[in-house]
Amino acid sequence: MIKFTLNGRQVSFEGNPLTRLIDVIREDLGLTGTKEGCGEGECGACSVLRNGHLVTSCIIPVGAVDGDEIVTIEGLRDTEQGRCIIESFAEGGAVQCGFCIPGMVMAAQALLLTNPDPSEEDVRLAISGNICRCTGYDLIVDSILLAARKGRGLW
Amino acid sequence: MTRIDDKVRRVDALEKARGEAVYLCDMRLPGMIYARLVRSSVPRARIVDIKLPELPEGYSFFSAKDIPPEGQNSLLMIAKDWRCFADGDVRYVGETIGILTGPSRAVLKTLDESIEITYDEQEPVVSIDDSLALKGGPILGDDNIHCQLVSEKGGDIERVLEGAARIFEETVETGFQEHVHLETNAAICTLEDGHYTFYISAQCPFYVRKSVAGLLGLKPEDIVVKQTTTGGAFGGKEHFPDVLAGPLLVAESYLKVPICLVFDREEDMLYSVKRHPSKVTFRTGVDKDGRILGSDINVYYNVGAYLSSSYVVLQRGVFHANGVYNFPATRIHGYGMATNTFPSDAFRGFGAPQTLFAVEIHLDHIAHALGVDPVEYKRSYFLKQGDETVTQGHIVEKVVLEEMLSQVAQKSDYFRKAAEYKRGSGRGIGMSFYNHGGAFTGNGEQAIIKAHLRLVKDGGHYTILCGQTEMGQGFRTALRKIVCAVLGVDMDDVTYDNPDTSKVPDSGPTAASRSTMIVGRLAEKAALEMKEHLGEDHYEVETEYEHPDGHPWEQATFKGDAYLGYGWGAACVELEVDPVTNEVHVLGIWSSHDIGKAIDELIVHGQVNGGIIQSLGYASMEKMENKGGHFRQSSMSDYVVPTSMDFPRQEWGLVDNPYEWGPFGAKGMGELVFNGADAAYIDALERALDTEVHKIPMPVEDIEAVRRDG
Amino acid sequence: MVERCFVTKDLDEALRIRKETGAHPLAGGSDLMVQYKQGIGITPVFPWPVMVISGIEELKGIRKLDDGRIEIGALETPSAIAASDLVPWHVRQAASRMGAVALRNTATIGGNIGNASPKGDLPQPLILLDAVVVLRSADSVREVLLDDFIRGSKKTDLHEDELITAIRITEVPYSYAYYRKVGTRRANAISKLSISSLVLIEDGIIKDFRASSGAAGPKVIRSHEVEDLLKGHAVDEVPSLIPAITEGWDKAISPHAMPAYRRGTTARALEHFLSAVATLPPGPVIE
Repeated sequence: MIKFTLNGRQVSFEGNPLTRLIDVIREDLGLTGTKEGCGEGECGACSVLRNGHLVTSCIIPVGAVDGDEIVTIEGLRDTEQGRCIIESFAEGGAVQCGFCIPGMVMAAQALLLTNPDPSEEDVRLAISGNICRCTGYDLIVDSILLAARKGRGLW
Repeated sequence: MTRIDDKVRRVDALEKARGEAVYLCDMRLPGMIYARLVRSSVPRARIVDIKLPELPEGYSFFSAKDIPPEGQNSLLMIAKDWRCFADGDVRYVGETIGILTGPSRAVLKTLDESIEITYDEQEPVVSIDDSLALKGGPILGDDNIHCQLVSEKGGDIERVLEGAARIFEETVETGFQEHVHLETNAAICTLEDGHYTFYISAQCPFYVRKSVAGLLGLKPEDIVVKQTTTGGAFGGKEHFPDVLAGPLLVAESYLKVPICLVFDREEDMLYSVKRHPSKVTFRTGVDKDGRILGSDINVYYNVGAYLSSSYVVLQRGVFHANGVYNFPATRIHGYGMATNTFPSDAFRGFGAPQTLFAVEIHLDHIAHALGVDPVEYKRSYFLKQGDETVTQGHIVEKVVLEEMLSQVAQKSDYFRKAAEYKRGSGRGIGMSFYNHGGAFTGNGEQAIIKAHLRLVKDGGHYTILCGQTEMGQGFRTALRKIVCAVLGVDMDDVTYDNPDTSKVPDSGPTAASRSTMIVGRLAEKAALEMKEHLGEDHYEVETEYEHPDGHPWEQATFKGDAYLGYGWGAACVELEVDPVTNEVHVLGIWSSHDIGKAIDELIVHGQVNGGIIQSLGYASMEKMENKGGHFRQSSMSDYVVPTSMDFPRQEWGLVDNPYEWGPFGAKGMGELVFNGADAAYIDALERALDTEVHKIPMPVEDIEAVRRDG
Repeated sequence: MVERCFVTKDLDEALRIRKETGAHPLAGGSDLMVQYKQGIGITPVFPWPVMVISGIEELKGIRKLDDGRIEIGALETPSAIAASDLVPWHVRQAASRMGAVALRNTATIGGNIGNASPKGDLPQPLILLDAVVVLRSADSVREVLLDDFIRGSKKTDLHEDELITAIRITEVPYSYAYYRKVGTRRANAISKLSISSLVLIEDGIIKDFRASSGAAGPKVIRSHEVEDLLKGHAVDEVPSLIPAITEGWDKAISPHAMPAYRRGTTARALEHFLSAVATLPPGPVIE
């Protein structure tokens, strides 16, 4: 049996350990904020935090997260940090079709956890694995910089 | 109270960023089962035999023979030739042969893999050249031409060219482009209150019901289509959702349970429509002073196996083939060529980007040959109000290209840099100009769509009812803002939900950059009337499209004003080419657009950024090859689109030029912003390398072929 | 179709399972989970038994061994490798350019080597440095030169009862170092080609010259023959030797796709690096 922490709650999984983490999150646990964009770790829509680090849940077998702490958008969105990022995304015009955005929020959180005062270049690098086809990124970058400014001290 | 110039927050931003917006793939209906399309694996063949494995209980397979006698095996997308199920033969790789349904997606995949289909294969027609050469014998009629048209102005082009001092001949080619909307195509078909009902990620819910109703011999209004939050579309969900909806409807007619079909990325990449590859040839004659006398232009689009909406795409390509320029004489002949590739279809720009790119770099090459700055050369041909168009109509509006040029030139310091950077120095700056005809071609808005919109007041709350969809472009916010600004109420006082065809009037497709310009205008007019009834507790107003005077159009001959008005653009790109690796480092991107008037600056900002990056991807890295009928790029790692690291922050601007018939003066803009940065990029690249480029995309390996060493 | 899957956090147990079942190790999953994916909502299907080893602590860590060599545990991620001061420069460069953030937090050096893709990022600089791979079975341990271990595209010398447990790198001194990767785009990219090189100069004489090319053939290319062309020569002779070196190198590589680009760029890269060596004052990194 695989046991891990999901958004602070202990979860156990008894199926095939090769089940993709994203399928456990979305199909078994019904947390659909995490999106599947490519199924091969290329687009970042399925980004979650694993022990505080950004990973793509579509290429990780659930057997590999035994004992780990996983945070999805559902676990982040009502924290003070999560609210700050999400509010900044809304204010800064970061959101268009929105499909990449939960993953983008997770990437922003992963960045700010290690670098609370990032430069534009830091932000661009931090979200370079999160593909957005709508925005051309500028307003996402600005929104993350806005979150860092508004949320000074939160990270 | 919200005014039109107020900064507002997008109405869908929070629910999307919080992961609460429900996309199709997030839906679970009670008793829902899954579907999987069974597709052809060869491009051109007779189907000899289909051997099904034994289907476990709860699993079914449907194909052409399951369409009831009163139904027709076709999907209506302007043309009616696209079959719901291949029957007897297959015409491209990925053509739907059948649909498998059942409770487990894993079992469906295994079943799919164990279906044995025997083909009698023929040599496929893949490229425009294959098609023109009738490779393997014609696949359509006796000439492989799906559709064609000619637009002429300024007299007999052959005679004009005879008088030329010099003729510039050139062929420009563009490749396939894949939409890569982050949300793949997806739909659920179910029965609700006795009606076949779709939940679907789509741009045009009314298209879906019209397209599939005939499969069961039904009327469009017998079918209900509910758009779900749509994660990007770019044209890829204009007609293509019909290809999912058709087989689902046939299956649903037997099964009567919710059936869910969600493409994975590989399916969406390999088995979905693409932007038409193009080949444009020019014969442009100039006099002894280098002034253009006329141009003979042939436009070939790779339409694929079915016509679907390609005739209209081709028309747009032809009508934009002169760019933003007034040449004394043009003959533009467009051909839509049949091939055994996945049918090409709508993609942001809808046929205009290919010819706009071609004419821009063609003029760059002429200017270079004449030894003049391309921008100076181009501006001397800028279209002006009252000028004759290539369809013998006129430019009705004021044209502010000079203002846009000066805005971009100033911000980018173009003229200094263009003079300073030596050709071949590794650094270059380039500029392009472009436009986009707003809304449906010709009198389509009046003759075909006849859009309606309803505005309902209940107490202090207002509800907008129309068929326009939000797919990321911001229309749910923009339309509410228009109504708010007229009524003097807050955004929260107005509701405008994803459309349900059983509840809203048909306001036409969310396509052709028509939503703000046409439907936004209907909302503005509805709100203006509503304003007279603010005292009433309940009031409803329905507005209908009215064609503005002074835009004559003859559909049979394609003569007159092809569009109601145009958006205009200028883009500038500065770049450096790595002398070792050919990697292109873009140093600056500047743009200016005339969209009439911005309904919401932040939304426009996002559209400009996104459109330009998509265009730069098209020019540089987005390479989709087709070998033997098979797309070679099947994933987001081999078909790459730009990341946050590929292009720098953009500087952008607008030139206000209020449009008489648009809400608050607004025109269309969603496609416009895609239509030109590609040419600016290639212009800059050519100057940096002192070379000529005749095709896009141009990734590093293709730059290798055009760089001149030493 | 085989659906056996083991999960273990204990190396001895892993080696036992490996020996008894032949289960293939699955570390980060970034290659295998993609290669054997089945689509949305479907568990990947592997043609052989699989053992998830990502939780084995013994296979983690970056340390300096008593003999001075740097050891990188097989489960270390590109993120950790790129961030470690212990790791030689070329390897850190390659690690920092693998995929994007999430991939660098997931992939492992053991996986990148074991998968032996010609486009893999880490083998190329490791082979430049003559790194060795540590292979353990329940009964034995052996060290093999990485260049020998990877035998071709997707082919290695891994025995059926072995696991890759670590990589060991001897610090290679250099006066000049060079690393370039050209990807499909500027970030989050698969390699179109990569090249590493280094030159050591003592008293004006080239003591060491090495180069390695990734994505230029079925496996990473090194040519000791070509490297020898430069060794022993004085620095001021370098310019005259460049043509022979680029020509020799061109013969050594065998790019399958986009050969003109890969050959042209490889030649220009070597020329660029060696020209800098010949003309610039010693400064370790050549851009």
